[in-house]
Amino acid sequence: MGAIIYYLLTLAIFFAIYSIYAWGLNIHFGLTGILDFTYITFVAIGAYFAGVAAMGHAQPMGMGGEYILGWNLPFPVSPVLGGIAAAILAALVGFVGLRRLRSDYLAITTVAVGQIVWLVVGNQTSLFNGWDGISGVPQPFNSSLFHLSYNQYQIPFLVICLIVAFIAWRVAESLTESPYGRILRAIREDEAVAAALGKDIFRYRMSAFIIGAIFAGVGGALTVEYIGAFNPSGWGVLETFIVWAAMLVGGQGNNRGMILGAFLVPVLFTEATRFITIPGHPLLMESIRGMAIGLLMVLVVRYRPQGVIPERKRVYRLNLISQETEDSAHGHAVEG
Amino acid sequence: MATPSKDNILTVNELKKSFGGVHAVDGVSFEVPRGSITGLIGPNGAGKSTVVNSLSGFHPVDSGQVTLDGTNVTNWPSHKIAQQGLIRTFQIARELQRLTVFENLLLAPQVQPGATALEAIFSRRKIAAWESKTLGRAVALLKRFNLFEMRDEYAGNLSGGQKKLLDLARALMAAPRLVLLDEPMAGVNPTLAGDLQAHIRDLNREQGITFLLIEHNLGIVEALCNRVIVMAEGRILAEGSMSALRENKDVVNAYLGG
Repeated sequence: MGAIIYYLLTLAIFFAIYSIYAWGLNIHFGLTGILDFTYITFVAIGAYFAGVAAMGHAQPMGMGGEYILGWNLPFPVSPVLGGIAAAILAALVGFVGLRRLRSDYLAITTVAVGQIVWLVVGNQTSLFNGWDGISGVPQPFNSSLFHLSYNQYQIPFLVICLIVAFIAWRVAESLTESPYGRILRAIREDEAVAAALGKDIFRYRMSAFIIGAIFAGVGGALTVEYIGAFNPSGWGVLETFIVWAAMLVGGQGNNRGMILGAFLVPVLFTEATRFITIPGHPLLMESIRGMAIGLLMVLVVRYRPQGVIPERKRVYRLNLISQETEDSAHGHAVEG
Repeated sequence: MATPSKDNILTVNELKKSFGGVHAVDGVSFEVPRGSITGLIGPNGAGKSTVVNSLSGFHPVDSGQVTLDGTNVTNWPSHKIAQQGLIRTFQIARELQRLTVFENLLLAPQVQPGATALEAIFSRRKIAAWESKTLGRAVALLKRFNLFEMRDEYAGNLSGGQKKLLDLARALMAAPRLVLLDEPMAGVNPTLAGDLQAHIRDLNREQGITFLLIEHNLGIVEALCNRVIVMAEGRILAEGSMSALRENKDVVNAYLGG
């Protein structure tokens, strides 16, 4: 397989995974207005748990280092476990943070939670092998079914990612376009009004927080099963803001916008520029990339705050069924 | 002492609420008879808004009891009080900006298929059936309030008066037993205020909806309310018809002016 094709397939895989991330963060912030500055922590917890669940038992003094679980679980089970782990963390954070805190204080809380989890995972080596991280996570179905080389494995893994992304898309769209999504958007606009109409704010924000975290966890699981390794340098504070940039650029509140954002920011700016070399300091390209993403965010927030594809206006089509009684009308939602 | 009775949809008993050292509401008792339009008036700082916020669960009370249709709802969270049938509006119209006028109304019904995440994913057909049924009700309300032409507009783009109308329409969409109107006429031009007044009277007569009306426009209070409660300095000063209150010296001194 040619290097270019291999590279494009890698980008396609990251595209699918980052779309899943962006849909999840969009449920947190774009729909519900929860300022979550530690989204990547849910990605990481999902990745770690899926990874160690898929790996075999840790060997004492062995090559793979120390880690928990080691259950040898097959593919569809391990990402589900990753999603559940992320959901549990979200429930814990939400229980502390979502009940009473205003959005800005909640944002601070999420940053603190991210730092705590990051430091604990790094220093408590018995969990996920500390700063060195886990490695040797088996590729889904490969040892049992495909028996492909690392290069050949790109295509089946892309198919797996696309299937998972398709399911995630359907779930995200169903939630966004339902009465549930309407209530979340109402809470985003004004909590007091939603409460005055009988909506339990805490319950809705909690459920949205957990669902968004499941997207993060499942995406993280795909990442670890693709790369095969995962350590704390892969999920610093900065990683959260790459997903944020994708969401803001794409258009918060719009799942199609999330796809565009995932393409523009993480894929085009971050991954596609990885192998561009320019003379000078070895880290120059990385710094330019960071500046470019920052500049892109500033431009979008200044000139197109709703993002490239803004939230869709819901228009209801009315088919008057009776001309005599003006009051009776039937209709259903159409995309506007 | 106010005692809960079947004829009163709302009974408030010895309600007290302080902020720091300020006794905003200092032992207030009153009833709202079922099917009535009851007025609540008083000078600024009398404690009317605190009463509204306490009744609707927006802040806890220090002591006292609130009984809504036979159920003790004292210190219930706001969403539970709303589910019990008490829907409030806000002094400054609080529209949900990036929801359309239609969506503002569709939000209000208490029981909606698809209001939970699982239903949203798995019962899409039930949702479509419910929405097409509910849209009819929303259309009727919007036509009544002259908002039908604006139905697909973002609520944030409405004029101030239209937002007040939307606030009322949205409250009615929730099928309330008691509507708490917090200064519905504030910032509304006289023509629109007349419209709002007519709407409130018609809804009361046709559908038997009970209103508790907090309002500074005394002409409208007089026209709508057969019973008016006057508050001053956190207490009830007087109760009665508006014409009787105009004769009451305490009320004149505290609020109406000489």
